[in-house]
This record gives sequence, structure tokens and C-alpha cells, in this order.
Amino acid sequence: MTQKYRAAEKDELIWHDLDSMTLLYHRPSGITHMLADPAPAILEVMGGVPLSAIEIAERLAAGFDLESNIDTENIVLARLEELSGLGLVSRVPT
Amino acid sequence: MSKMHQIMLKIGPAAFRIVSAWRRPLDQLTDLYKAYPAPTGETVDFTVRLEPEKPWRRFVRPSVHIGGDFWLPDAAPLPLEQGLLGAEMGMNLQMALGWRRHLLLHASSVEKDGKALVMTGQSGSGKSTLSAMLAERGWRFMGDEFALLSLDSGEIIPFPRLISLKNKAIEAMQDIASEERFGPEMKATPKGDIRHLVPPRDAIARMNKPARPALLLFPRFGHAPELRDMGQAEIFVRLTQASTNYVALGEAGFRSLTRFVDEVPVKAMDYQSIDQAEELIDGLWSELR
Repeated sequence: MTQKYRAAEKDELIWHDLDSMTLLYHRPSGITHMLADPAPAILEVMGGVPLSAIEIAERLAAGFDLESNIDTENIVLARLEELSGLGLVSRVPT
Repeated sequence: MSKMHQIMLKIGPAAFRIVSAWRRPLDQLTDLYKAYPAPTGETVDFTVRLEPEKPWRRFVRPSVHIGGDFWLPDAAPLPLEQGLLGAEMGMNLQMALGWRRHLLLHASSVEKDGKALVMTGQSGSGKSTLSAMLAERGWRFMGDEFALLSLDSGEIIPFPRLISLKNKAIEAMQDIASEERFGPEMKATPKGDIRHLVPPRDAIARMNKPARPALLLFPRFGHAPELRDMGQAEIFVRLTQASTNYVALGEAGFRSLTRFVDEVPVKAMDYQSIDQAEELIDGLWSELR
């Protein structure tokens, strides 16, 4: 079964856009994260539902102009692993 | 237990009790802080203790151990002649580690037209000397070490402690400030040669008057004069590094710092002399809305 991921609850995060990065204050940990694209976009399209990397890649493709020759799914997967290391995303038990 | 001496000091919003095994550092502090209002009441925010490193060291080659509500294990003892420096270092340490009422930025600040110029940067950037010099050139001195950013109003609260002059800055300020404003010169301290300077009278009289930050500079001494823009991400990171209590303040710290970065224009400024810096600052200041 494909691994699904869920983003941190909306009210656990405070977003703040800087010119080239996005700040994310994570209330439960009190940690400020500075995220570069595409991590903020990934969190944004995840909403509150458990999604797989493929489903997130599809949502990104629908909302953003992605280059056609890149492996979106693997890029998303790598970012999801990093985000779960930071506690901003959790793996949903299958 | 032998007798301890103590005094109380109020600098901006912070009240200190300085307790010392020796009278002399306290006499020096009392003299240098005589223009400051005495704290009202018995309560203080912090206590700083100057004590013998070992009990017998009170008399034999006396050596001052700095203690207090907050302390660092590696704070080296100082010879008694540097007790005044010890007290100042102790007060700074209490602020850096214990202050929670404002976001504390390692920065100097001066005010003109009701607006504050904030200068931050690493040791040696010249931020302290710049604030001391500008204070003699028509600006109100607000602080040479810590700028306190209000968590709700976004204003800068003054913390005009004694100006801590180092090495070459001592001579430069001796040329323009009167002798009675200076403390004793302390040679070859762990921080180099140090001499304290009492801020201008006006800075002390108005130490409870905040000002809205209007310009943030990252000065860098020793490079050909130049102003550069900086990206917001770099500014934010450097300010978190310049703050000693950003993490401790949690969400309130995040909100006040992001607001500061959003609202305050920023430049990196290289300069080789105070005159150059003043010219660059005057140019920027006249363009502010």
C-alpha cells in the first residue's frame, strides 16, 4: 500500500512570506522554519487530508506550471521526507 | 559570611541589584550612573553578584567571579581592577539570558525626528562606536548594545546603559566628550582595552521614551563606502542570530520580528570613517517617508 502523508494542522502553523522564502512558525514545537520552493506549495496543496506523493504531485500539476520533463513524484517524495523530519508532515499509518 | 555591599540601578525598563564583596566597583558604578533615576521600590528584574572566586581571594590578589540570576559557566574571573567591567558584563548577561518583556536584539540605536535608526552586526562592525559618535552629532542615544523591540507596539525601547568603548574608540571619543563623562580605563581586559562613557544627559532623561524603528543598518567598518540592499530571508536570519531571546519568546517573538522585517527598510553599509558613515546615513534618512 502506498504511503500517505498528512500536513500539520492549519492552526498549528503561522505562515509568513519573505521575498525569496516562506517562514513557517510551528506552534507545537515553537520552531521557526524557513522553507524554499516547492516545500510551501506542497504543504499548501495537502490541505487536511492524507495524500500520497503521486496525489500531491497531481495537485501541484493542476495548480502550478510545472516543467514537463521533471520527476515531480520523486521530488515531492524527497521533500515529504524532509518535512516529516521537521515535524511539519506526518506519515499516516497504512 | 563577610559583609556584602549593594546598589540598585535602573536602565530603561530594567532594574538591577548589584551585590559585591568589594565597595570599589560599586562606588565607580554609582558615580557613572548618578544621572540615572533610582529604581522605585524593592523589586528588581535581576541581581548581579561580584564575589571572590575563592573566599581567601577577597584580599589576596582579589579576583572577581561574576554571578547572578543567569550565568555562563565559562565566564572567566576578572582582576578586581576590572570589577566595573565585571558588573557591566553581568548586567548584559542577565539581559541577554533573562529578559522576556521585549524581543532583545544585539544592536545599537539612536533617534532623530521621533524615529529610530537601528544598527546591528557582529563584534567589530562598529555599531557601538557609531551610536556613540552619532549621539554627539545631533542624534538621541538609545543604546549601544541592546535594542528592545516591543512585542505589541513594534517600537524600540531605549536601553541606554554606559557606552562601552573598546580600543581605538576610546581615543576617538576622548577627543569629543568631556573627561568627567568617562570611567576608569581598563587595559588588556578579556575584551581588550575598555573605558566606559556616560551617555549624553538627554539620552538618560528620555530613556523611557520609545521610538518607531525607521531604518535598520548592517554596518561593516573598514571597507570602501557602499550601501547594498539585502534580501528579506537573509535579514530575518541575521536578526534571529542577533537576538538572544527570539526562541524563548515563541509566537510573540515570531510576530514581532516578522513585522519588523516587513516594515523597516534595511541596508548593508560599508564605511571607513565616521564622517563617511554619517554622510551615508544622512542620505538614507532624508529619503525616509
